[in-house]
Amino acid sequence: MLAKLRVGRFDPETSSPEPYFQEYELEVEDWFSVLDALIKIREEIDGTLSLRCACRASICGSCGMRVNGRAKLVCKTKLDSVWSPGETLTIEPMGNMPVITDLITDFTSFWDKVRQIDPYMQPTGPEPEAEYLASDESMVHLAGVMNCIMCGCCVSECTVLEVDENFIGPAALAKAYRFVADPRDGKAEERLKDLNEPTGIWDCTRCMQCVEVCPKDVDPMGRIMVMRDLAMEAGVKSTAGSRHTDSFVNSVKRSGRLNETRLTIESIGVMNIPGQLAMAPVGVKALLKGKLPPVRDHKIPSKKAVGEIVKKAEGKN
Amino acid sequence: MYEHDVLIIGAGLAGLRAAVESVRLGVDTAVLTKVHPVRSHSNAAQGGINAALTDRGDEWEGHAYDTIKGSDYLADQDSVEVMVREAGDTLIELEHMGVIFSRDEEGRLGTRAFGGQREARTFFVGAITGSAMLHVLHEQIMRNDVRIYEEWFVTSLIVEDGVCRGAVAMDMRTGEMETIRAKAVIMAAGGAGRVFEPSTNALICTGDGLALAWDAGASLMDMEMVQYHPTTLAGNGILLSEAARGEGAYLINADGDRFMENYAPEFMELASRDVVSRAEQIEINEGRGINGNVLLDLRHLGTKFIEEKLGYLQEVAVEFRGIDLGESPIEIRPGMHYIMGGIKTTIDGATVIPGLYAAGECANVSVHGANRLGANSLLDTIVFGKRSAIAAAEYVKTVGRNGSSDSQLESDKKRIQEILDRPQGIRWAAMRNELAESLTEGIGVFRDQASMEGADAKVDELRGKYPQVSVDNKGKVFNTDLIFALELDFMLDVAKSICQGALMRKESRGAHSRTDLPDRDDENWLKHTHVYKDPDGLGGVRTETSDVTITKWEPIERAY
Amino acid sequence: MKYAFWPGCVALGGTPELYTSTKLVLGKLGIEVVELVNASCTGAGVLQEKNQKLGDTLNVRTFAQAEQMGLPIMTICSTCQGVMSQAQHAVSRDSDYLAEINTDLAAEGLEYHGDTVTKHLLWILVEEYGLDKLKEHFVVDLSGLKFAPFYGCYMIRPSDALGFAEVPERETSLEQVIEATGAEVVEFRGSRACCGLPILFINQDNSLKMVATHTGTAKDLGADAMVTPCPLCHLNLDGFQGKAVKKNRSSAVDLPILHLPQMLGLAMGFSAKELGMNKHMVSTGKLQDAVGELAGV
Repeated sequence: MLAKLRVGRFDPETSSPEPYFQEYELEVEDWFSVLDALIKIREEIDGTLSLRCACRASICGSCGMRVNGRAKLVCKTKLDSVWSPGETLTIEPMGNMPVITDLITDFTSFWDKVRQIDPYMQPTGPEPEAEYLASDESMVHLAGVMNCIMCGCCVSECTVLEVDENFIGPAALAKAYRFVADPRDGKAEERLKDLNEPTGIWDCTRCMQCVEVCPKDVDPMGRIMVMRDLAMEAGVKSTAGSRHTDSFVNSVKRSGRLNETRLTIESIGVMNIPGQLAMAPVGVKALLKGKLPPVRDHKIPSKKAVGEIVKKAEGKN
Repeated sequence: MYEHDVLIIGAGLAGLRAAVESVRLGVDTAVLTKVHPVRSHSNAAQGGINAALTDRGDEWEGHAYDTIKGSDYLADQDSVEVMVREAGDTLIELEHMGVIFSRDEEGRLGTRAFGGQREARTFFVGAITGSAMLHVLHEQIMRNDVRIYEEWFVTSLIVEDGVCRGAVAMDMRTGEMETIRAKAVIMAAGGAGRVFEPSTNALICTGDGLALAWDAGASLMDMEMVQYHPTTLAGNGILLSEAARGEGAYLINADGDRFMENYAPEFMELASRDVVSRAEQIEINEGRGINGNVLLDLRHLGTKFIEEKLGYLQEVAVEFRGIDLGESPIEIRPGMHYIMGGIKTTIDGATVIPGLYAAGECANVSVHGANRLGANSLLDTIVFGKRSAIAAAEYVKTVGRNGSSDSQLESDKKRIQEILDRPQGIRWAAMRNELAESLTEGIGVFRDQASMEGADAKVDELRGKYPQVSVDNKGKVFNTDLIFALELDFMLDVAKSICQGALMRKESRGAHSRTDLPDRDDENWLKHTHVYKDPDGLGGVRTETSDVTITKWEPIERAY
Repeated sequence: MKYAFWPGCVALGGTPELYTSTKLVLGKLGIEVVELVNASCTGAGVLQEKNQKLGDTLNVRTFAQAEQMGLPIMTICSTCQGVMSQAQHAVSRDSDYLAEINTDLAAEGLEYHGDTVTKHLLWILVEEYGLDKLKEHFVVDLSGLKFAPFYGCYMIRPSDALGFAEVPERETSLEQVIEATGAEVVEFRGSRACCGLPILFINQDNSLKMVATHTGTAKDLGADAMVTPCPLCHLNLDGFQGKAVKKNRSSAVDLPILHLPQMLGLAMGFSAKELGMNKHMVSTGKLQDAVGELAGV
C-alpha cells in the first residue's frame, strides 16, 4: 500500500536556515514500523534525510521523534497504529531541544541536566568485599527506572521545559529517583535537599505528559511525586510546594473539601509578606467580582468521617 | 589536531570499561564513538553475565570447562582461564559501581540458568542486563568527566613505522575531519552483524573496528565463526533473549513436539547456541516448521512471571508481534547474532601492531572459539576492556612524544571528497543489501564449499563496483548518507575476511557447520585461521593458521 | 437521565458561575441530578502525591455513596474526572486493594462493589445524550465565532485510565461540542497542555508563562474565547491572565475563558448575566456583543 509521510526537514547549511516539511510517497508493508518507513525513504528515495536510529528494538533510545505531534520511539511504533491509508503521517524532530538537522536534535542540555543530579551511586561507609546486600524487591523496583533509555521523549513533551529551560526535567529527575530509592546509596537526604531547590521536584506541574509519552513505562512524574513525599518526610519543608501539599491535606482533613483561599495564603507562607502582597491585587479584584471564596471552610456534613480517614492514613505514613 | 595518551574507539561495555580503568590509572584518556555511549549495541545484551562466584560454591574450572566445550575446543584455554578467574571480581566491581543485579532471598546476587552450562551462574537485571550495565558505566564516565568525542566517525588508524599513533576521524556534527594523535589506541568498536541480513545487530554494527585494524595490518582470526542465535524474530531479526529458555521456555515444532529431545537430550533447550540453531534449521528444512520458523513457548511460565523476569521480551513480543507471551507461543528462527572471530589479541588486548589494542566483540582473545556461550560476551567485554586499558597504560609510559604528520588526514579527506563529488552512481543501500543477503546465503547456519565460494565471489564483485557508490547528500552537517557509504567500505572488508576464513577451514566445528565436511577434524584443524589484508596476495589477502592453546582440557566428543 | 452530581470544590468555591451555569443548562437539557453533599474533595492529584492510597480511599468513598444511590456520577471538573478515573482504574484492576480500602470505609457503613461509572458532563453529552439532541436546544447559532478548546491535563492523561482506547471519541469531545454550537474550533498545541495552576504558588513565573503562551497563541490564531471543562484551568487562565500577559507579552490578549456550560448556555439563549460571565476577571463584554448580534438582539 502507498503511504504519504510529511517529514520535518532542516538544513543548517543554507544561507537562511528555516525548518520546512517535505512530503514523501512510498510503498509500505503492513508490518512496517514508522522507522522502517523512514529508513526506506533514506535508503531508496532521498539520502539527504538525516535521522538517528540504531537498535530497531526500543533499547538504544536513538529514534525519538514527534509522530503526529507527540514524541515516540519510532522503531516501536507500528505504522498502522498511527496511520491509515489515505492519511498523511507527520514526523518532526522532538521538542524542547535545538534541531541540528532534519530529525536530529541536540541533546547537550539533556545530558547537562543528568549531570546536574550527580548521576552515580554514592555509597557511604566501608566498601564490602563482596556485593552490597539489597532486597530483590528493591532491585526489581529500581529496574523499573533503569528501564529508562534516555531517549528524550519525556523531555520533548514536558510542559514546564517549554516555558523554563532551567527545569531539571523528567528524565534527569527520574534518574535522580533511581539513586534516592537505591538502598545502597548513602546520599538520599542530600540529594532530596538539592532536588528541593528551584528547578527541582516542585517545579513539575503534574501534567502527566511524560507519563503518557514514555515508551518504557518509566513513569517520571510518578517518581517525582514520590520524591516530593520523601522530601517532606525527611523534613525538607521550606518550599511553597510542601506547604501547598500540607495545606491541601489539612483542608480536606478539617472540612472534607478544599479551601482555595487558605491554600493560597498558606502556600505562599503566612509570614511571606512580599509574596502575599504580590498575590493581593488578583485577590482584591476577585473579591470585587464577588467570586473569592471566604477564608472560612466549606464544610460537608460528614466531615468527621473524612477527617478520620485522613488521620488514619497519616498515621500510617 | 588533538592529542591524548590513550584513545579508545567505541563506547560500548568494552570501551567504557577500558575508559574507567584508564582514568583510574591516571592516564590522559579519550573515548571516541560514532553514537552517544548509551546508544551502543551493548544495550541489546539481554540475558546476563556469567561468573563463577566461589563464595557460593561455584568454581572457575567448571565455568572454564563449559566455555571450552561450548567453543568446540577452539578457544585458547589460557585466555579462557584468565576470563573466568577474573569474572567474580569484575562482577563485584560492577555491582559496587551501581548495577542493580537481581538478588536472592538473602539479598545477595541471584542467578539464572543459561545455555551450555551445568551451573546457574548468570547474573542479570531482568532482560536488560547489557543496558543496565552500560548506563552505569556511562555514569562513571560522567562522574570522571572523561573526554568523549561523541558522534565522531573514524576513517583510518594512523600507523607510522609499523606503530599505531592515533586515528583520523570526522566530527559528524560539523563534517570536519581531524587527526587525533594517541600513544595507544584501544579498538572497542563492536561487531559486524549488518554484514548479514537479517541480523539481531543494531544498524550501527558495521564492523568499523575490524576493518580499521585489518587495514592497519592486524590479523582477523577465526572470522568464519559467526553465531546464529536460536531465537530471533523473522523479518527484522530482533532478538528474544536466551533468558527465556534459561527461565524455562520450550522450543516446539509444528507438531507441538519439544524437538530438542532428539538433538540434546540432556541439556534440551539449553544446549549450546550452535547446537540449538542447527536443530531448529533441520526442523524447518524437514518440514516441521511454521512459515520458516519454529515456536518459542513461555505459556507455562505465566504472564506475571514473564513480566517480572523477562519484561523486555514481553515488550518486544507485544510491540513487534502483538503477542502476549503468557497467552501464545511466538514464531522464532535462527538469526545472525555475533562474530566470535575478530582482531587477534593477547590476553592483555595487544594486537600484532604496537600501540593498537582491542577488546570486546571486535577482538578475538580467543575465549569463544567456534561458539560463544550466552552471557559470556558481557564478561568478555568487561574483563578484557579492563585488561587492555591496564596494558595500554603501561605501554604509553614507554612511548615518546607523538609525531605531527597530517598525511593520513589529507588522504582521507581526499578519499571522502571523491565520494561527495561522484555523480549519481550505485546507492550504498542497494549494494549493502546485496552483500548482506549473499553472506547470509553463503555463510549460514549450514554452509558448503560452493555456497562459501559464491559469497566470496560476490564480495569481490561488489568490491570492484564500490568506486561507483555515490551519495545524495553533499553537505557537511550530520551527513549520514556519507557515513553509510563509508561503513559499506568497512563491511566489504569484513565480509571478505569472513569468506576467506570460512574457505580455509576444511572441517565442521561449532558455528562453522559444513554439510560437505560434517565432522570435526582435530588432527588437522585444532587451529585458528588468520586472514591479513595484503594487496599483493590472492584476492587481496594473505592467510595462515596457528595452533590452539590447550592447557588441561583435551578435546573430546561434544554432546549436550 | 439522572446522575449523582459531584460539582467539585472549585465550582462551589472559586468559580461559583460554573455551578450556576451548569444547573441552568442541565435544566434545559432535562437531565436530573442529585448532589453528592457528603462527597469529599477528590484530592486533585495534590493529596495523592502525599498519599496515593488516601486519595483513592476518598474517591472510592464517593463511588460507594453513588452506588448506594444507584446512580452514575456526573462531574463538571476535568481534574475531579481524571483523579476519579485513576482511582476507579486502580481498584478495578486490583481487588485486594479495593478490599483494603473498603475496610477503611466500614466505619461509615460504606462498601464499594466497583460498579459506579463517573463521567464528566462533556463525555455525557457526546457519549450518552448525543450531539444531535443537544443541538435541538440551541437557539443561537454561534457560527462565525472561534473558540479555542482547553481540556485540562486530567481529561487527557493518562489515557489508559480515561478509557480512550475503549471510547476514542473522548479524545476530541470538546472539539465536537464546540462544533455543535456552530462555532469554529481554533486548533493549537496548547489545547492539551497544562494551564500552570498546579505550580502557581510554587513557581509563579512558569505558571504565568503558560497562561500567557496558551491564551496568547489562541488569541493570535483568532480565537474569540477559550472554552474549558476544567474550573481549575479557569482559575489560572482567567484569574491570572491579566498579570501573565503583562509580564510576558507586549500585546494585549483579553481572551474570555468560558466554562463549558457557559458556552452551551450562550447557544441556548441564556444571558451572559444568567451564566455568571460578569464574575470573570477577563471581560466578556466583546464576546457578549458578538453573541448578541448573532442572536439578533
